[in-house]
Amino acid sequence: MSISKIPVRTLRPADFELLPAQSAAPVIVRPSRSYWQDAWARLKTNKRALVSLYIIIALILFTFAGPLVWRVDPARQDVDQISVGPGVDRRAIVVEPWQAWDGSSLAPGYDSGEGLQLAADPTTQSVRLLWSEVPGATYYRLYRNLFSATDIDALGIPMADFSAGGRRWYEDLLDLQPREYFYSITAFDANNQRMDEFLTISADVTRVITMDEVRSKELGVDIDRLQLGDEVFLTFHPLGTDYLGRDMLARLMAGAQVSLFIGLLAPLLFVSFGVLYGATAGFVGGRVDQLMMRIADFVVALPFLLFMILFQVVFGIGPGESGIIPMLVALVLLSWPATARLVRGQIMQIREEAYVSAARLLGGSHMYLIFRHMIPNTLGVILVTLTFAVPSAIFTEAFLSFIGMGVAPPTASWGSMSNEALKTMLTHPHELFFPALMISITVLAFNLLGDGLRDALDARMRGME
Amino acid sequence: MKQPRTPDDRLLSAAGRQLSAYALMAIAFLIVLMFILNWLAGLTSSSSGMSRFGVDVENNSINAFLRNEPPQMDTMRSTDAISGVVLGHVMEGLLRYDENGELVAGIAERWEQNGTEITYWLRDNARWSNGDPVTAHDFEFAWKKVLEPATASQYSFILYPILNAEKANQGELPVDAVGVRALDDKTLQVTLEAPIAYFDRIVAFVTFLPAQKEFFEQTQGRYGADADKMLYNGPFMMTSWVHGASLRLERNPFYWDPSRAKLDAINFAHMTSDSNTLLNLFKDGQIALTDLTTQMLEEAMFQRWPLERFAEGTVFFTDLNHRPERLTSNFNLRKALQLAQDSDELVNRVIKLPGYLPGISMFPEWVQGVNGLLREEFPPAVHRRNVPLAREHLQKALDELGLERLPPLVLLSGDTPVARLQAEYYQELWRRELGIEIRIDEQTFRQRLDKMSAGDFDLVLSGWGPDYNDGLTFADLYASWNLNNRGRYINPELDAYVRIAQTSLDQVERVRAFGMIQQIVYDDVVHISNYERGYVYSTDPRLKGVVRRVFGAETDYSYAWIEAEAN
Repeated sequence: MSISKIPVRTLRPADFELLPAQSAAPVIVRPSRSYWQDAWARLKTNKRALVSLYIIIALILFTFAGPLVWRVDPARQDVDQISVGPGVDRRAIVVEPWQAWDGSSLAPGYDSGEGLQLAADPTTQSVRLLWSEVPGATYYRLYRNLFSATDIDALGIPMADFSAGGRRWYEDLLDLQPREYFYSITAFDANNQRMDEFLTISADVTRVITMDEVRSKELGVDIDRLQLGDEVFLTFHPLGTDYLGRDMLARLMAGAQVSLFIGLLAPLLFVSFGVLYGATAGFVGGRVDQLMMRIADFVVALPFLLFMILFQVVFGIGPGESGIIPMLVALVLLSWPATARLVRGQIMQIREEAYVSAARLLGGSHMYLIFRHMIPNTLGVILVTLTFAVPSAIFTEAFLSFIGMGVAPPTASWGSMSNEALKTMLTHPHELFFPALMISITVLAFNLLGDGLRDALDARMRGME
Repeated sequence: MKQPRTPDDRLLSAAGRQLSAYALMAIAFLIVLMFILNWLAGLTSSSSGMSRFGVDVENNSINAFLRNEPPQMDTMRSTDAISGVVLGHVMEGLLRYDENGELVAGIAERWEQNGTEITYWLRDNARWSNGDPVTAHDFEFAWKKVLEPATASQYSFILYPILNAEKANQGELPVDAVGVRALDDKTLQVTLEAPIAYFDRIVAFVTFLPAQKEFFEQTQGRYGADADKMLYNGPFMMTSWVHGASLRLERNPFYWDPSRAKLDAINFAHMTSDSNTLLNLFKDGQIALTDLTTQMLEEAMFQRWPLERFAEGTVFFTDLNHRPERLTSNFNLRKALQLAQDSDELVNRVIKLPGYLPGISMFPEWVQGVNGLLREEFPPAVHRRNVPLAREHLQKALDELGLERLPPLVLLSGDTPVARLQAEYYQELWRRELGIEIRIDEQTFRQRLDKMSAGDFDLVLSGWGPDYNDGLTFADLYASWNLNNRGRYINPELDAYVRIAQTSLDQVERVRAFGMIQQIVYDDVVHISNYERGYVYSTDPRLKGVVRRVFGAETDYSYAWIEAEAN
C-alpha cells in the first residue's frame, strides 16, 4: 500500500486576514462580583440571618439611642409602684397627706357601730379599722387576707394583737395595693383560748397620692390647677418596675450597655490578638510554632472562674465597685487560644496551596503573601469566629453578673437583673421575663447571624445561590 | 419553592425518622434513669429511716427543719441561734423558760439570793442521758471551763457578773478563784462581783448549761461535735446527727419530768433556709412547720393555711462608724443621714414583710420597764423624715469637714435578700435626697463580722438579738468597753447610765437609765433604727403547742403534741 503524495504549500502572510470584530458572537459572562458582593448576595437569601441582622441593629439602637428617647434614670426608685407589671392601672386620686390616726376620729359618712368596721375610705395610704368589745375577751387578734375569710382557722396574715380594754382600733399601713382586702378579728378568752366567732369586713382599697408626691414625681400635671379628689396618672412604666420600683425599660437599656460593652469589646480584643498570634505561629512554623501553640494549650487549661476571682483581687476591686474591667481582662486573656488555633490551621493550609507557592516562586514578598493571599482567605473564618464570640461573651457576662461577680448595684446588667428577679419569679414573673428574653434574643440573633455568615463567607460556596 | 422529591430527599427523611426514633429512645431512657436515680437517692438520703410525714401520728413523731447546719453543740462555745434551737430541746440549765415564756425552775429546784450570794439547790432526780445524776459539780466544771482563756468562748463575757470571772477569763487569776462552788452534789453556790437584780435571767442562757467532767474529758476535745459525743439532761436527746443533712432527737428516758415531752421523736430532717424548698416541703406535708416570706404569703392564703406571727425580739439598725478618722464621726453628717430616711417607708413599702415592725428605738417592743413595757414608760423620740433639715445638716457637715463634696461612703451589708434590698434602697435614697454616693460592700455573715470588728466601714447594716430577758442586753451595746460596739462610740454620759443599769438594784432607776440611753442613741445618732424582725409561719393543724419565743430555743417543740383527730 502506498501513501499518496499531497502537495505541500508554504503559508504566506497573504494567506491570513484579520477577522472582523466578533460582534455577533454571544458573550457568556456573569457580572463580575467581588468576594464581598458575592457573600452579601448569599447572606441576603438567608432569611434567618437577615432577620438576625435587623434584630442586632435594633438592639444597638435600643442600647444607644434608647436612653436618649426614654429619659428615665434606671436607679430611680418609685416606692409607690414596686413590682408592678406592664400595663397596670395607674390612676390615683389626689388626697391630703397622711396623718397618724389615734382611733378617735371618724371620716365623714362613717359612724361607729357594732362589730368590725372601717373608719375611713380605705386607701393605699392606710386602712383604718374600729371594732367593739366582745364580752369575756382578754385580747384580740386582727388578720388580713387576700381572699374572703370563711374559715376561722385560716383568716389570713395575723397583723397585730390587742389586749382588751386597750385600744380598739388599728391602722394598716403595710404595703397596700389597689385591690380588695378582707380583715377579720377574733377574740381570745382568759384561758388563751380562741372564741368561736370572728368578725370580718372587706376593704376595697383605692390608690391615692398627695400633692407633694405629685410635685416630687413630676407627673406632668399642672399642680396649681390640681385639687383634692382629682384623678392623676402615676409615672408610666411600659415594662413595669422591679422589686424597688425601678423602671424596667430604663434598666434593660442600661443593662444592654454593659452587656454589649463586654459582648463587643472583649471578642474584638481577643479575636484580634488570637489572629495575630495564630497567624504568626502558622506563618513562621517550625519550632516557634511548636512553642507558641504549647503556650496556647497552657492558657486553655486555665480555669476561667478562678481567674476571674483572682483578677478581681489583683485589680483591687473594692467594695461596691464594678467588676466589669477585671471581667474584660479575664475574658481577653483566657479566650484568645481558640481563635489562634483556628487561624494558625488556616494559615498553614493556605501556605501550602499551589497559588501561594507560585506567588512565592514569582518573587512575592512576605508582605505581599500575607496581604494578598493569607488575610483575604482567612477573613471569613475570623469574621465567623467573631460573630460566635459575641454571644458567648454576652452570656459569660450575664452568667457572672448572675452569680454576683459582675456589676455592683445600682448598675444594672441583664444577668444581675435576672438574679434579683429569681426570688420573686412566681409572684412577679415580668421581672425575670424581660431580662431573660433580652439575653435569649441577643444570643440567638448573634448565633444565627454567625451561622449565616459562615455559609455566606465560605469561598467554596461561591457562586451558589 | 417546593422541590421535587429526589432519592436524596427520601434518604434524608428515612434518616430523619431513624434519628427521631433514637431521640425518643434517648428521652425514654433519661426518664427511666431519672426515676431510678430518684429511688436510689431516696435510699441513701438523710431522711432514710425517718418518716416522710411532717406529722407522723403512728410513731408520734414530727419532721421539722433547721435553717442551717449547727456549727457544733458544745454549750460552752455555742454562739448561734440554730444550735440554740437544738440545745433548747436536749439540755436544761438551772432555770429555763416555760411555754408561756416565764422563767421557771429547771435543774435547780429552788434558789435563794442573799446580796452577792446565790445558792441553788438541784433536783435529786435530775439525770444525764447515761443515767448519772446531774450534780452541782457539773455546773461548776462547765462555767469554769467557759472562763478558761484556752477555751476562747465568745460568750464568756456573760459570766462576768460572777466574782473574779472577768479576771480569770483575762488570765489574771486562776479559774479556781471564780465565785462558783459546789458545796455538795446538790448545792451550788455563786458569789457575784456586785449584787445585781438580773442574774436569775442570765442563768437560763446556753453558756450556763452544765457538762459532766468525766465525759467531757473522754471526748478529747470533740465534745458536742457528734450525737454520741455529748451527754444530755433535757427532755430530749440527740440520737443521730448526719452532718449537713439531718438530726434526730428522741425522748430522753432519764429526764426528771417524764410528763413534759409528749412527742417520741423530733426529726430535723432538712437543713435549708431556701424559702421555696421549705414551701414545697410544707405543701407536700413533709415538714410540720415553715416560715413564710412575702412571695409565699399569697399562696399560703390561697391554700387557707393557718398563719401565725412571731416577733423574734431582735432589733436591726444601721451602725455608724464613730472612729475619729471616719467622716461619719461628724454629728451633722449622721443627723443628715438619719433625717433623710424613714423606717416606716422601709418596712411598709420596701421590705413589706408582715411581722416586721418599723424600728423606732434601740430597745425592741418586749423589753420590760418598771410595771409595763419600757417603751410605754419611756416613749422613744418621734422620728419624722425632714429632707430640707437633713440638707441643712449636710451643709453644716461639709463646712465643718472643709469639703466641697462628700466622698463616697461605704455601706457594709450582709448577703441575705432583706439586707440586699435594704442596702440598695438606702443607696438610692441618700443619693436622691442628699446627693451622697454610697458604695455597697456585700459580705457573708462571718466576713461582715470581721470587717465590723476591724472598723472597715462607714455604715453597716447590723442587728442585735437579746441574750437574756433584761433591757441591759441592749442597753450596754454602746458602752465604750463593749466589744460589740463596732463603731467605737465613746460617750462618758452613756457609759455612766450603763453603769447605773448594770449595778443598781433599784428597778426604777435602772429603767430610767434605759430611757436615757434610748434618748442619747437617737439624739446623737449613734445608730439609725431600721426594723424589728418577725416571722409569719404556718404549722400543721394537727401539731399543737409549738412555742416560738425570744429566749431559749427560738422554735421549741418540746411542749408540742399531736392531735390526730383534728384534720
